[in-house]
Amino acid sequence: MTRPLLKISDVSVEFGPKANAIRVVDSVSFSIGAGEAVGLVGESGSGKSITSLSILRLIPDPPGRIVSGSIEFEGQDLLKLPANRMPEIRGRDIAMIFQEPMSSLNPVMTIGDQIAEALMLHQDLDRDARWQRVIEVLSLVGMPDPAARLGAFPHEFSGGMRQRVMIAMAVACNPKLLIADEPTTALDVTIQAQVLELMKSIRASVNTAILLISHDLGVIADLCERVVVMYSGRIVEEGSVESIFSKPEHPYTRGLLQSIPRLDDDRKRLYQIAGTVPMAGSVKKGCPFYARCDLRVDKCAAEMPPMFEFSKQHKAACWVTGEAEQ
Amino acid sequence: MGRMIGLRLIDAIPTILLVLTLVFVALRILPGDPAQVALGDMATPAQLELFREQMGLNLPLWQQYFIFLWDMLTLNLGRSLVSNVPVASIIAANLPYTIELTLVATGMGVIIGVPLGVLAATNRNKLPDSGVRVFSLIGYAIPDFYLGALMLIVFSLNLGWFPINGGGTDFLSRLHHVFLPALTLAMVKSAFLGRLTRTSLLEVLGKDYVRTARAKGARENRVIYRHGLRNALLPVTTGLGLSLLATLSGSVAIELVFNRPGLGETLIGAIAERDYPVIQAGAVIFAFFVVFINLLIDIAYIAIDPRIRVQS
Ligand SMILES: Nc1ncnc2c1ncn2[C@@H]1O[C@H](COP(=O)(O)OP(=O)(O)OP(=O)(O)O)[C@@H](O)[C@H]1O
Ligand SMILES: [Mg+2]
Repeated sequence: MTRPLLKISDVSVEFGPKANAIRVVDSVSFSIGAGEAVGLVGESGSGKSITSLSILRLIPDPPGRIVSGSIEFEGQDLLKLPANRMPEIRGRDIAMIFQEPMSSLNPVMTIGDQIAEALMLHQDLDRDARWQRVIEVLSLVGMPDPAARLGAFPHEFSGGMRQRVMIAMAVACNPKLLIADEPTTALDVTIQAQVLELMKSIRASVNTAILLISHDLGVIADLCERVVVMYSGRIVEEGSVESIFSKPEHPYTRGLLQSIPRLDDDRKRLYQIAGTVPMAGSVKKGCPFYARCDLRVDKCAAEMPPMFEFSKQHKAACWVTGEAEQ
Repeated sequence: MGRMIGLRLIDAIPTILLVLTLVFVALRILPGDPAQVALGDMATPAQLELFREQMGLNLPLWQQYFIFLWDMLTLNLGRSLVSNVPVASIIAANLPYTIELTLVATGMGVIIGVPLGVLAATNRNKLPDSGVRVFSLIGYAIPDFYLGALMLIVFSLNLGWFPINGGGTDFLSRLHHVFLPALTLAMVKSAFLGRLTRTSLLEVLGKDYVRTARAKGARENRVIYRHGLRNALLPVTTGLGLSLLATLSGSVAIELVFNRPGLGETLIGAIAERDYPVIQAGAVIFAFFVVFINLLIDIAYIAIDPRIRVQS
């Protein structure tokens, strides 16, 4: 197998004072191939944002820190890199779009300057070429009349437009990996669809690998080839979109799939997974999904299930389905 | 931008009228008879009456009020009751020293205070932060006239590095004269501005757009100065305006300590001698400063924050 673009192995992240730290991301491992789009799903608070921030080493410290693991990008462990080397990678090789379009742009800088800054930091262009490129990426993300909008400030745009500016900024340097942390969650539905279309067309034109974070499996199926499912800071299932949609092996993933509304559906109520997500780091022993699981057996409470392999591309951490498979 | 500044200027008119009214009322309820004070205990009732007549003190209050307003607005400030020198020339001779002191002190305060705040914020809970905290506490706790006296004793009397009194003549000697008093005021000011910058910058550095700046590969210095500080300066600007006013009133005491010419020194003298027209003009000028400084703050806001520019 060729070396993946990004290989995350056993990454754990803790928050709070060392003495009673809360582990919000626990031994997470997955990888992304060059040009591949991977979806990361999970309920609110499952650790998706923290996992993605750890790739760029942007976890606010204090209170958080990456306590173990490795994050290899093109074979180089980012966690071993001296902190002053990270800025070379951020924005150039790995770019990120954030969950909060309203607050993620600097209110006192024009959008033109903010996009140009990304170029200035990483590319050796003269002024004219730089502005040319800014206009180019702005039209790529569907900004009407981009040349006239360079001097506008973020507050002059709607949320959807701001998210387009964020995307333009992220793709300006043609990153090898684009991390999109719920790029559409804060937007209303029609705008969501537009931004997703945009992500798709960008993927086609820039050929960047994408890590798309969402709590919406539908969004992920639309854009990605592979899915990673997180629950309470752990990866519980991982596989190709087809195999996970057709044959989910973890009861949590099954629940997630059942709660997607469908047109051919005559159920009166949507399926709902009973109970609530345990506080990250609160489950010390056994499967974190135990309390809400319909399949649970005694073993689940006692011991954390390992990742069982269901096929070459499909793994899930469940004692019941996993042992039945063996 | 020009239009917005024009609007702010018009906004200032009611404030100025209010200020003038307050000065007028305050002076009428001040105890003591100005005629008596001006002419001394030996004055005859006829002389006192003549004086009141000349000064318009016998007119009905509302007439006095309008005459006062008109005089102030046309800068017809009258003559000193004590020296008979036109008040305008007394002010003209002293005001530049006060402005000079205030401006130099403010500049020094910003130059010392803002970097201290940045230092503290970027080394939160480490040694530099504690150092700045101690400095701020000292700055807050020591009264400026006391600090001024200490400075005077150490640097002027003992070490002889700075002149003991006066305001200086040519540019260099004025700078030499203003240095110690300005530094005294700047210590207090930078203690305040340092704390303000620290708090404000710490808040801004936690914002989403600062994370965005890091995510696009900006290095720490760029993150702090380009993205952080500019946003953090908004509350600091307000604080700066307030402290400018504090410096202006602080300069009264400092001018006395350093025996410097200036508006403060002039006013204190005038109050002791109940020199009505001088007190009146001094109070009005201080008040105009307040209005003017507030205007400057507004303009600074408009320059810093594009969001304000559109709202009107
Ligand atoms: N600054 C912080 N201090 C303490 N705990 C934090 C901090 N940031 C995140 N956490 C904790 O980490 C856990 C995971 O958070 P994360 O933001 O990664 O969730 P998420 O999966 O992205 O959820 P959402 O869908 O709501 O964005 C949460 O339980 C949260 O309480
Ligand atoms: Mg999140």
